[in-house]
Amino acid sequence: MTAVAAPAARATQPRPVPWTRLVWVTWRQHRAALVGVAALLGGLAVYLLIMGLKIHSAYRAAASCHPLGSAICDVTTRPFASYYHTAQQMSLYLQVIPVVVGVFVGAPLLARELETGTFRFAWTQGCGRLRWAVDKLALLAIAVTVAAGAFSLLFSWYYQPFFAEHLDGVLAPQLFDLRGVDFAAWTLAAFAIGAVAGVLIKRTVPAIAASLAIWTGLDFATTLFLRRHYQAPLLTKGAPSYSHPPWVVGNWYTGPNGAVVSQQTIRQVVAHAPESVQHSLNPNAATAYLTAHHYTQWTIYHPESRFWHFQLIEGGWLVTLSLILLAATVWLVRRRAA
Amino acid sequence: MNVIEARGLGKRYRRSWALRDASLAIPAGHVVALVGPNGAGKTTLLHMSVGLTTPTAGQVTVLDSEPAGSPAALDQIAFVAQDAPLYKNLSVTDMLHLTRNLNRRWDQQRAETRLTELNIPLDRKVGKLSGGQQAQLALTLALARQPRLLVLDEPLASLDPLARHDFMASVMAAVAEDDLSVVLSSHVIADLERVADYLIVLSHGQVQVAGEVEELLAEHSVLTGPAAAADDIAERMAVVYARRAGTVAHLLVRTGGAAEPAPSGWEAHPVGLEELVLAYLREPGAAALPGPRPRVTQDSGIPA
Repeated sequence: MTAVAAPAARATQPRPVPWTRLVWVTWRQHRAALVGVAALLGGLAVYLLIMGLKIHSAYRAAASCHPLGSAICDVTTRPFASYYHTAQQMSLYLQVIPVVVGVFVGAPLLARELETGTFRFAWTQGCGRLRWAVDKLALLAIAVTVAAGAFSLLFSWYYQPFFAEHLDGVLAPQLFDLRGVDFAAWTLAAFAIGAVAGVLIKRTVPAIAASLAIWTGLDFATTLFLRRHYQAPLLTKGAPSYSHPPWVVGNWYTGPNGAVVSQQTIRQVVAHAPESVQHSLNPNAATAYLTAHHYTQWTIYHPESRFWHFQLIEGGWLVTLSLILLAATVWLVRRRAA
Repeated sequence: MNVIEARGLGKRYRRSWALRDASLAIPAGHVVALVGPNGAGKTTLLHMSVGLTTPTAGQVTVLDSEPAGSPAALDQIAFVAQDAPLYKNLSVTDMLHLTRNLNRRWDQQRAETRLTELNIPLDRKVGKLSGGQQAQLALTLALARQPRLLVLDEPLASLDPLARHDFMASVMAAVAEDDLSVVLSSHVIADLERVADYLIVLSHGQVQVAGEVEELLAEHSVLTGPAAAADDIAERMAVVYARRAGTVAHLLVRTGGAAEPAPSGWEAHPVGLEELVLAYLREPGAAALPGPRPRVTQDSGIPA
């Protein structure tokens, strides 16, 4: 071939393998993990559905009981109260679902290929490694994110009666990330962390362990430190209204001269209160006593109405982070030498 | 056309060079044996040719001067890596289906026929097949892609003698059937003697010998004669390697193809492929690069 003929040959680049073909490849290779995820989420979904129906019916019974506070109504509301306890437990267990789903699908994706040497097979096929990596990552990322999103919709419905009764605020840390876009976003982040850990660590089990640790650290840091700073909290004198439970992120007292006083001082002041106040069953008695002595309680909090604002901020940065990590994974696959 | 063309190709892993300043041009239509001791850079060269590894220096092109690893190149090259890595948890049928979905061209009929001939059950898990069957399956998958170039990295290393024989028979059958070029590496020369018609010897990360087997054998001969006169011969002829046994010396000489009569007092024998390779490997300083030069360097006068 001459130098003149070379550009003509280049012009007839082979048409790429259509992405739909990679759907079968991805499904066949990750069938076990996807079936596992489907079984886990499906099983939990059936549980949430059955329990949800019971909760909703118990809630309707309790809400329609008249008059409130009567003996008969106390009995009628009892099942609803006991479901609340179960649902709180459930919300704690569900915290681990995003990381379990994301990491167990994401981490082996490349780690297993690199560990067993099969990448030498996969990356030398006609479709090329770039296509292979992009398609697989995209398909699996979409699969786990959609599954998690659907699951969190079901959870929202399941938990709705407890919000309606103001037993919990929607910003409560253990509930916030199970609803809205957060649950799906945390699942996507777990998948992306798993994928990049897989290509860097090159071994399945260590990659899973590392991504579990990284995700958990990120989740704790977000819940404990980061989320409260998405917006400046509101300041209020006294305790905020609990008709719509806010997310209280701090409170303190100021003394008669307007300076902040320690909790210890407050305890001492209350200790000098009359017996009637100290042994009162009404929690507001102590507050009233303190107010009378010119001690003021201050609370900073995020109102419930910020739920979607916070959801979009957290969902936004998690999705951005995930896309960056997935792009890094593709880049690492592309430049990785065998 | 050259199936693999390398110019100043080098690959450095951390501090040592696996391959250094390798220039070669492998013409199409051959079964090429790439031989050399372990660590000579065979796998590195092959991995760079199929785009698994990027060169540290120089460049490598394949087939119609396509950059190695480009979509156009991958489309026409089938590569079977060392130990034939396949998905062990898939059935043979699924493995066929998976490979078909990863490629533009695919001959399902041919793959199934081959596997039936080899008595490889389609419903069995790949991991449950014997080593020889896995190698044959990997070869079947590669051939079903209808490649113009088949690259095999140490295809025989993990096979028993019977499986080696069967595997090479399959390769040769495919070559006879199609317009297919084959490059295969091995550190066992005996296995390749019957099948390879082009030889490349790689040693210490450098190309030491490259050329058609027939030409190489014709250009070399072994001279046997008095050890005392060996130095005399070395002045007149290109001695690749000399072995002295008492008063007798065996010299592998490069005659340049001309049927020169042996010097008086010396006896000339034809050389075998294995003997030739071993002689060169024992003398890393010697080189025989008589084959076609890479096109671009044709006029630049790189000494052969």
